[in-house]
Amino acid sequence: MHKQTTFLANVRTALGEAPQVERSKSTFPRLFAAPDTTETLKKICGRTVTELNELVTIFLHNGNMLNISSHIAESLHEAADVVVELIRTKEPEFNYVKHVIMHDHPDIAALELWNRFNREAVTLHTTFSRDRQITDKTIASFIGITAPTIGVADSATVIQLTEPGRPRSTSLLPSLHIALLRRENIVADLAEAYALLRQKSYLDSLVFISGPSKTADIEAHMVYGAHGPRELHLIVLAEPVTER
Amino acid sequence: MSKKPQSQYCMDAKKSMDSPRLQASLHSLQNRFGKGAMALWAEMDDQDMRRRVKKSRMKNLEYLDILLAELAKNVRTRGGHVHFAETAQDAIDYTLDVARKNEVKRVVKGKSMLSMEIAIDPALQEAGIEVVETDLGEYIIQLAGDKPSHIIAPCIHMDRSRIGELFAEKLGIDYTDDPPSLTAAARKALREKLLSADMGLTGCNLACAATGHISLVSNEGNIRMSTTMPPVHVALMGMERIVATLDEHRETVQLLTRGAALQKLSTYVSFVGGPSSDDDPDGSKEFHLVIIDNGRSKILADPEFREVLACIRCGACLNICPVYGRIGGHAYNSPYCGPIGAVVTPLLDGINKHADLCKGETLCGACKDICPVQIDLPRMLAALRQKLAYGSDRWNTRQHNPLEVYAFTLWRLIVCWSPLYRTGLKIARLCQRPFVEKNRMIKRMAGVASGWTDGRDLPPIAKKTFDEIWQEKHATPLPKLPVATKEDNNA
Ligand code: SF4
Repeated sequence: MHKQTTFLANVRTALGEAPQVERSKSTFPRLFAAPDTTETLKKICGRTVTELNELVTIFLHNGNMLNISSHIAESLHEAADVVVELIRTKEPEFNYVKHVIMHDHPDIAALELWNRFNREAVTLHTTFSRDRQITDKTIASFIGITAPTIGVADSATVIQLTEPGRPRSTSLLPSLHIALLRRENIVADLAEAYALLRQKSYLDSLVFISGPSKTADIEAHMVYGAHGPRELHLIVLAEPVTER
Repeated sequence: MSKKPQSQYCMDAKKSMDSPRLQASLHSLQNRFGKGAMALWAEMDDQDMRRRVKKSRMKNLEYLDILLAELAKNVRTRGGHVHFAETAQDAIDYTLDVARKNEVKRVVKGKSMLSMEIAIDPALQEAGIEVVETDLGEYIIQLAGDKPSHIIAPCIHMDRSRIGELFAEKLGIDYTDDPPSLTAAARKALREKLLSADMGLTGCNLACAATGHISLVSNEGNIRMSTTMPPVHVALMGMERIVATLDEHRETVQLLTRGAALQKLSTYVSFVGGPSSDDDPDGSKEFHLVIIDNGRSKILADPEFREVLACIRCGACLNICPVYGRIGGHAYNSPYCGPIGAVVTPLLDGINKHADLCKGETLCGACKDICPVQIDLPRMLAALRQKLAYGSDRWNTRQHNPLEVYAFTLWRLIVCWSPLYRTGLKIARLCQRPFVEKNRMIKRMAGVASGWTDGRDLPPIAKKTFDEIWQEKHATPLPKLPVATKEDNNA
């Protein structure tokens, strides 16, 4: 604390303020003033299905340029089909067994993946908070499945909040990341996404993901799969709605 | 004829210019990212954004003490530790202390220029700790025992065959020069290191005071790895890298990734604000934020240079600078190269020591045009040169070359007195005779002047001056204008 006092006193001296007089943020209310986002939030909530579908189109288009493979599923069952197909066709990168790790999320649980593999050797894990072996299971997994909180059409970004039962490593360590995103969680741009984030009373760590991990460090040659997943599959869950 | 010994700057610059490989890479880099960024700014819907962000950067500097206190408070509320380090040594001592307490044997690093500025790697290694760079480019540089030469493309000066040989030697793989295979080899080797490291050491691109987060951008995912897997995370932050609110963060981070690599956002933008909670299986049970001054408050105090602290280190200015585009990053001999390096290095590390950097740039203004936050680097370069010419107590700078001052005083005398100037010209015409070659150009000059003709031929001084020709051809004398008197001026 002593270090902080002298450090900030130095800063104040540099700014031509009295070094020993601590300045309080309440004296400068405009410093932390945030613009009013009521309108933005209203807009997000009021979107019609047609408008949302437009956002999906934009998202997929932008995602395509970032090498995101996208799928649209009209039901959880269809979404599960996509996942099953990926698990069947893709090969593990770091070992020889097919482990899959999933976030503890109702939409992912509703895929009922456990019911799909009767003959193949596929092991499914869920990141329940009390499980002490999650890290090891994640390291062993070649596919990680998450259900991000927000999708941003303009930058083709999914926003993954760290929450109990939803650790960060699930979208990071496996070679393939599957993000299951509900259509209604897609917003137009970052301004809308930040407005939603600001509503959260408590923000732990979070990450914006816009595509698979990549590098161009060797002769500017683009290679996917530097440290994170080499493939990002986005499944947009767009259940038909009759009325909204 | 004996030549004045060349400075390190000149020698390194020459080395780069003699390397066709580097010249080609620099050329294509500037072609793509330099031109790309300029096009991006021109097309951007929101033309006011850059000015707005610059304004908020400058405003935040004015309230820096409040913002830093708020950030520290919020990080501490989440259970993180915040340390304020006035000097590089202070930051190193603190980090070493954290490492010792946690019995750290291996540190994985996310790319951080600040870590180079404070030279923390050698200190960690001396303490017997293995330090591993995880950004692919930085890792290659580390394996080669080399130095990075671009802010976002550190190994731009190495070609694939050299990297292939390096990997064959250091990683024990079969030689290949295929970038995907090389990347895969590094991916495997680094994954082991990342999963078994005891500490992650990163920088901080932008902190947000209101929410108490630091944010880090990366495309590779190495930063996410370094902040997620090891049990301890230490983040080094330059004290100026802070915004007040999330909204400012949104705009600033977008300008950063656009300026850096023309991306709307980088692949990953991670926000970290403290250790992970108890029921979170991921690492980082301890989070330490080290906020570093190391000469920044001195820059902050000088209105002439405060603006440089608005920099968000996107590296765009490197991608357009005609000097950087030829001499590459190594000549700058600093973690910060290019135009931004030419301003910030002398300010942090001594103006006299880095006089070559201040004088090396051309003041063409391209860096200001491309800078996402419109920092007037040319103005500050000129100000640095002024310090070098006249000396400055504030910056503890002595006159760089007193001889230069005499020379210019003499020159002023000559050019102000036309008979003297004309006579001088005549003498010079005589003296140049032996040097004029058949093609009517001067190929080589003698003594100190030889530098002018090392890389080019000079035209000789003309037989007649413009004025003389004019007098001959259009000899009607001009009507005499009334001469302004002192009284007129004062009226
Ligand atoms: S001076 Fe401007 S262009 Fe250069 S690194 Fe800083 S922010 Fe980027």
